[in-house]
Amino acid sequence: MKRFTLVLVFCFALAAVAEDEGRYRDLGAKIQCSCGCNQMLLQCNHVGCPSSAKMIQDLHTSLATYKNDEDVLNWFRSNYGMTVVVAPATHGFELTIWVMPPLLLLVAVTLLFFLIRLWRQRATPVPAMGVDPQLDALRERARKETEL
Amino acid sequence: MPIIGDFCLLFALVLSAYCMVAGIVALVSHHPAAARLGESARRSGMAAFIATAVSALVLVYAALSNDFSLEYIRAHSNRTLPIPYKFAVLWSGQEGSMLFWALLLSAYGFVLRLRHKVDRRLVAHASVVLAGIQTFFLIVVNFAANPFGTLDRVPADGNGLNALLQYPQMVIHPPMLYLGYVGMSIPFAFGLAALIMKYPGEKWIHITRRWTMVAWLFLTVGIFLGANWAYYVLGWGGYWGWDPVENASLLPWITGTAFLHSVMMQEKRGMMKTWNIWLIFTTFYLSIFGTFLTRSGVINSVHSFALSSIGAWFMGDFGRLPYFPFFYAYPGFLEIAIAVCLVFYLKNRSHLQAENKLESVVSRESSFMFNNLVLLAACFSVLWGTLFPVLSDWIQGHKITVGPPFFNRINVPIGLFLIFLTAIGPILAWRTTSFASVRRNFAFPAAVAVLTAIVLVAAGMRPWHDVWQIYSLMTFSLSALVIAAVGSEFFRGGRVLQGKLKTNLLGAMYHLTRRNTRRYGGYIVHLGVVIIAIGLAGRAFNLDKQQEIGLHDKLQVGHYELVGQKYTQDHSDNYDSLSAILDVYKDGKFIATMYPTQMIYQPGQPNEQRDNKVAIHTTLLEDLYIRYDGFNAETDRPIITAFVNPLVVWIWIGVIVIVLGTCVALAPNAAPLKSPVPVSVLVRGDPSQMLEPAGAAK
Repeated sequence: MKRFTLVLVFCFALAAVAEDEGRYRDLGAKIQCSCGCNQMLLQCNHVGCPSSAKMIQDLHTSLATYKNDEDVLNWFRSNYGMTVVVAPATHGFELTIWVMPPLLLLVAVTLLFFLIRLWRQRATPVPAMGVDPQLDALRERARKETEL
Repeated sequence: MPIIGDFCLLFALVLSAYCMVAGIVALVSHHPAAARLGESARRSGMAAFIATAVSALVLVYAALSNDFSLEYIRAHSNRTLPIPYKFAVLWSGQEGSMLFWALLLSAYGFVLRLRHKVDRRLVAHASVVLAGIQTFFLIVVNFAANPFGTLDRVPADGNGLNALLQYPQMVIHPPMLYLGYVGMSIPFAFGLAALIMKYPGEKWIHITRRWTMVAWLFLTVGIFLGANWAYYVLGWGGYWGWDPVENASLLPWITGTAFLHSVMMQEKRGMMKTWNIWLIFTTFYLSIFGTFLTRSGVINSVHSFALSSIGAWFMGDFGRLPYFPFFYAYPGFLEIAIAVCLVFYLKNRSHLQAENKLESVVSRESSFMFNNLVLLAACFSVLWGTLFPVLSDWIQGHKITVGPPFFNRINVPIGLFLIFLTAIGPILAWRTTSFASVRRNFAFPAAVAVLTAIVLVAAGMRPWHDVWQIYSLMTFSLSALVIAAVGSEFFRGGRVLQGKLKTNLLGAMYHLTRRNTRRYGGYIVHLGVVIIAIGLAGRAFNLDKQQEIGLHDKLQVGHYELVGQKYTQDHSDNYDSLSAILDVYKDGKFIATMYPTQMIYQPGQPNEQRDNKVAIHTTLLEDLYIRYDGFNAETDRPIITAFVNPLVVWIWIGVIVIVLGTCVALAPNAAPLKSPVPVSVLVRGDPSQMLEPAGAAK
């Protein structure tokens, strides 16, 4: 039983480490290095970069302090300035950046769908003609060759 | 020499302005001399190219001869700069790149005016529009960004070219991108010309089709050369960072792609005329807007080597006069261009009535419409994300930064939907398609897509682990759908021709492609696009590791083991370098020795620049990408960062396929096959023999 508990604790510890590593990479990709290189914190490769080492250390510290990712990002916003976080917040005015593109696409697709229906209703019906298999074959061939 | 360059620049402006004004007068006048005036306008437009070319040559000569009396040459060149990069000096700075833009525009205009016989009146109108654009750029080059500004004291040497630009890709990337940007002016000019003169029919589209495809091709190659440069030079292990300037190049590419698709509806069915006109106008506006974004500094970008105040020339400005309670506002070139287009659209919009209506939702037309809609949604989301910091500054009082997390989250699903449409489109016929036909043609590609997904999951993909693996699996699966759909199109067409030509299937497919280069070239381009998508999808499985490695220390990343063998220093005329020599093993087996290097340009100088030359071991499956980060100042040990980037090489292969496909689509169709067709002919004599197929008597 003791062994089983130890194995369980070890598994949980491993899972926690993996989760922390996941959070570290995820949040590191949402924070920009403040050295002016415009690269993500974990991608900044400036030799002797004055900022990235300190910021990575701060990221580790705040990951241990805050369990909520948004709190970590807020900590960076308040300590390094608003522009340091490259993922806009999902509340307040910044929510509009996330909402607008899908909303607009949805509206446009809906409009297009109704427009197509309207056009179809307006389309002039072609009077039915006598069936001529030879003509049909020629039409089919013309359609294939002209793509019309 | 600089005086000659400066004079030619001014002369080019005069010639362009004359081309525009005389061209307009000739077009509106009914005077007998109007034709001669129009001809002189055409010739002055062509002469403007020669004057601009001489001016550009003078600047290149100044770079080659180390003429540091020119401020531009001092800022962007130096004595040790290798000769190929001295040519690149022309477009490496603000003033030179504006001159280069004017040069390319005048070169396009030269070809257009030379080929005026295709339709004299249409070309005359388009020539005036082009001259207007050309005049604007030459005004900017002459009065706001003149590269021939001289210094009072001539320095012994110059600052040198930005270290990041000293790569072969960078010698080609800007010209390609500029050829794409500037090339979009040609379909714009023709579109506006057709609108102005209420041009009958769709001939203007036939004339501009190749221009648009060529410009689109240049833009595509330019964008991916930029990505290639970022991957091989910037050293962060990626190829696309959603930087505002990268986005600026993507915007006209997206609308240009939409135009290339929707224009087929106008050609085949006389539909979407208003849409197409505005699509090509928008593509041009976005090209200009991209230039504004690159130059104005309104948004932070890594491309900060080209910042200046000339943005106001493009977008205008507004504000309050100092010490006076008055506001001022003046339009820029973009607002004027929009206003001109809007005026002519409102005046002549009746000319753009569609000749046909959509007959079915399940048709090629509707697939093009959805394709256009989704492309424009992608364009909007990129533009929205790029400009949101400015919007946030206006509304919230502070700028925010919008980076990859936003762009990837929004654009990846849109991209997946586009790949799906790429598979569906070829299956649908024009006007209407029966569901039975869709089912019949779609069954095989759908089966291939499902099978691909099953095989990938069985092989170890775990899409339930994170969202990027889901996207990746969907990309692979949808790409398989497209490849199967395009493959079956070639196969079906090839089978039909195989019987007629009595040849093998591959030969039949070759003849099929030659008979309809545009259609099958387009399919090849689609294949290239999905190959790129496959390359991009590999990103979900990237690995990286950074570690200090002393001599004979080991770094393990994925299947690879790196062993530090040696660290060296070297000196050359242009830079000093630090190199790491690493032995690389994969699964315990030696595969290569790699040499990641760090270069130090102008070492010890105040303008010292450091740059990475990454070492990359490429296979079709993955890249091992190694960067040498120099020494840790505290431990004095070398730092190595290694990335394993799966499938990256397929991005570059996909671009080559796109280039091939576009070249095929640009080629003229081969003559149609001559097979006996039964035609009714009148035969004298027996009434029972009155109708007989032609050739029956032979």
